[in-house]
Amino acid sequence: MTARIECIFFSEFHPTLGPKITYQVPEEYISRELFDNVQVYIITKPELQNKLITVTARGKKLIGCPVCIEHKKYSRNALLFNLGLVCDAQTNTCALEPIVKKLSGYLTTLELESGFISNEENESNTIHLKLIQLRKDPPIVQEYDVPVFTQCKDDFIKSQWDLTTQQILPYIDGFRHIQKISAEADVELNLVRIAVQNLLYYGVVTLVSIFQYSNVYCTTPKVQSLIDDKSIQQECLNYVSKQGHKRASLRDVFQLYCGLSPGTTVRDLCSRYSQQLQSVDERRLIQFGLMKSLIRRLQKYPVKVISDERSRPPRLYTGCHSYDEICCKTGISYQELDERLENDPNIVVCWK
Amino acid sequence: MLSSSVGLPDDRKSMYSQSQHSVLKTGDKTSPISVILVSSGSRGNKLLFRYPFQTVAECPSSLTAKQRSPYALNTSGDSLEDQDGDSREQSPLTDEQLVAGFSDSTLATILATKSDICGKKFELKIDNVRFVGHPTLLQHHTASQVSKTDPSPKREVPTMILFNVVFALRANADPSVISCMHNLSRRIAIALQHEERRCQYLTREAKLMLTVQDEITTMAETNGSPHSPFRQILPKCKLARDLKEAYDSLCTTGVVRLHINNWLEVSFCLPHKIHRIGGNHIPPEALERSLKAIRPYHALLLLESEKVLLNQLPLDCSPAMVRLIKTCSAVKNLQQLAQDADLALLQIFQIAAHLVYWGKAIIIYPLCENNVYMLSPHANISLYSPLAEHFVQQFPGHDLPSMLSKFSLPISLVEFRNPLEAPAQEAQLIQMVVWMLQRRLLIQLHTYVCLLVPPSEDEPGIREEEPLLAARVGGRSLSTPSALSFGSPTSSDDMTLTSPSMDNSSAELLPGGDSPLNKRMTETLLASLSEHEREVILNIPAAQNPEDLRLFARLLHYFRGHHHLEEIMYNENMRRSQLKTLFDKFRSVLVVTNHEDPIISIFQSPME
Repeated sequence: MTARIECIFFSEFHPTLGPKITYQVPEEYISRELFDNVQVYIITKPELQNKLITVTARGKKLIGCPVCIEHKKYSRNALLFNLGLVCDAQTNTCALEPIVKKLSGYLTTLELESGFISNEENESNTIHLKLIQLRKDPPIVQEYDVPVFTQCKDDFIKSQWDLTTQQILPYIDGFRHIQKISAEADVELNLVRIAVQNLLYYGVVTLVSIFQYSNVYCTTPKVQSLIDDKSIQQECLNYVSKQGHKRASLRDVFQLYCGLSPGTTVRDLCSRYSQQLQSVDERRLIQFGLMKSLIRRLQKYPVKVISDERSRPPRLYTGCHSYDEICCKTGISYQELDERLENDPNIVVCWK
Repeated sequence: MLSSSVGLPDDRKSMYSQSQHSVLKTGDKTSPISVILVSSGSRGNKLLFRYPFQTVAECPSSLTAKQRSPYALNTSGDSLEDQDGDSREQSPLTDEQLVAGFSDSTLATILATKSDICGKKFELKIDNVRFVGHPTLLQHHTASQVSKTDPSPKREVPTMILFNVVFALRANADPSVISCMHNLSRRIAIALQHEERRCQYLTREAKLMLTVQDEITTMAETNGSPHSPFRQILPKCKLARDLKEAYDSLCTTGVVRLHINNWLEVSFCLPHKIHRIGGNHIPPEALERSLKAIRPYHALLLLESEKVLLNQLPLDCSPAMVRLIKTCSAVKNLQQLAQDADLALLQIFQIAAHLVYWGKAIIIYPLCENNVYMLSPHANISLYSPLAEHFVQQFPGHDLPSMLSKFSLPISLVEFRNPLEAPAQEAQLIQMVVWMLQRRLLIQLHTYVCLLVPPSEDEPGIREEEPLLAARVGGRSLSTPSALSFGSPTSSDDMTLTSPSMDNSSAELLPGGDSPLNKRMTETLLASLSEHEREVILNIPAAQNPEDLRLFARLLHYFRGHHHLEEIMYNENMRRSQLKTLFDKFRSVLVVTNHEDPIISIFQSPME
């Protein structure tokens, strides 16, 4: 959502009239009363100069950066000015701040180099500005996370991205996890993590967990959106239908999602719902469900509850590390880990 | 005055005592950086008080070079390594430094606003600091009334025209946090305005503050040793102490309780601090949405013991609240609670919402043996968590991870029952479950049902275009909206009905018999379905039994995945076994799934 600028103004300290608005577009936008109330924030004391100041008053938000250029040539030995923007008080103006800062810097340079402002002649100039939208910080990317494209991969313009991203791109298929991408693309693990985090920030990819037939999933309340929301419905059926088969029916897909529950593995699902799976690709089914939060993965966490005095305190079996993480870090397989832990009476396993 | 940490369960206490050591929490987006009181009047704009007060060392911009040398010897608490305190530095500044960069006089100028913008929210952002307040005008008797008979040139009595209680926050604070801080500023302002009118309280306090400031400045000029005037103000000024307390509370527990002039109470809570689960906070809007959606069949679970909670209540709290707390129980739903406490249901809703908002209770489904619980995805199952420690203290001989692992698969309480065990064991199990619910370790799963008829063999394309069942069924008069408004605390319906099913379920159908009336009713109910759907349903063997078909038709509007089993049971006055049998009979057209109730799941997990 972009901020709508309602007015651009140029204010300065006139040698005899004091703080005033020299120019504003559209004209007369800032009323006398409004300026009276906020002028102390526009033409400011030295302590506040060169700071980005946003003041909210009378239903309006004014963003500016007061500048002071000292020189003998000016009456009162200093030029004080402020080029600012006006928006509605409800607007989120964070994205406009770099613009205001840039404008104030630009005008300062112009004035210092060619007396642009103090010179009465009007020249027209074009300044190129770009509004950058601020987004939420992306989460940390783990080695066992799997990046998957949120839009069609073909729409992705490779040349716009850095070299590392371009190198790992062919390996992002919604099934390879970070560690695997790093190994196969021959790119250092941390670089892959950062590149994927960057893609996450721009919403180009999202993260899901590793797919295995032994995985367990369960539905979330959001699964009902498949019934309520026609667009999600269509998107889902398009995504999960097997290529070259009859398009999957809503009922089949919904039954499959609802068939996922604690204690049921994907393998179990496949044997129970073989008829429905004739037209549905189960891997894409899981992928879509995770991306849209219709289902969630249940991870296994081993906890060593009974420890004898002699052995060291548990490092990985503390309830903080999932099977996915342990297997990724130690290189042993799920099955192996299962075999080790199942027969250990000191260890309990929690699913969540 | 009760300390705000009294009565918290032990594990929460340990969390707070740690943060109380460091009142300034760097980078905490829900805590203020500073509280500032300014005024404007005949003596101009003045900064009356600020907290935390930095020592003079931290704002050299307002002092001459001559006074710099003693700063190296500054021993008053947190002295900054960087003596320049230049707020334009590139390296990230601590919260202290952000506001410390502003001198008292600058703050006075920018925060004591013009009278035109008084009475409204004031917000000012300067680089990385955001100031929010509610500048307030004061009305007072004019001096001329006092000195009418005195012909000599009137000595002007310094009068305050307006004041502003301002909170400084990090610029990237959440808008809802900013809004809350403004709310607190406004409340304090209202109290101060009132006390000013009554007994010139603010003027007196301001005079005290300015006098101390003048004294200290004079002292500094004579013997050159800088002290913060604000430190000297604290012991002399109740208002200063109140502001400091507000700041400290906001930084720690998020619960503020002040007594302005030892007379007017100002209480306030910052939901962002109170409703935290695993590092995330529940946004107040989401909390409010959930509270509007609770039903009479929900229950209130207190997060602290009855005794502790009652101790925290102010002396003049409503007797209804006391009654509710005393009668409340995890196994009682809100409707039963209303009966037992002899209060109207609407009142119960309001008090319950209040307790939830203040973080003293959560909404659950009442405990019963058929409830199915599972580990919450956000549960902290670490071996070394403070929760694990507390569990062992509370339930010796048991450990938390082992208990939690039993809930790895959804399990109902009845499955724990062991006929060979003493009843005391069962009671302890209930206690453990309640303990785990209070700490958001468990979620409850409910069964939801959705009608989905197998598509017809021919013309599947046409079927796709039919409006979704939800849209078709939703608007009917016999559907649940009336039951929903029953449960809404904002509705003005008579809330004292004892059995909702008598009024608004579809039980007006005559029981039994294959009367033409019943048959027509059933037909009407099924009319909202498409022809294909109707055909399929009528072909089900169970549909040949008119009773079963009637029941199915009557409950049709629940089968869109938004009403769980327990809700249907409550609204329709039915037994669980009845419903389960029905679902089984019509399983070829119904899809069943289990998940948490989205209405109250917010209390178990933060918003995604």
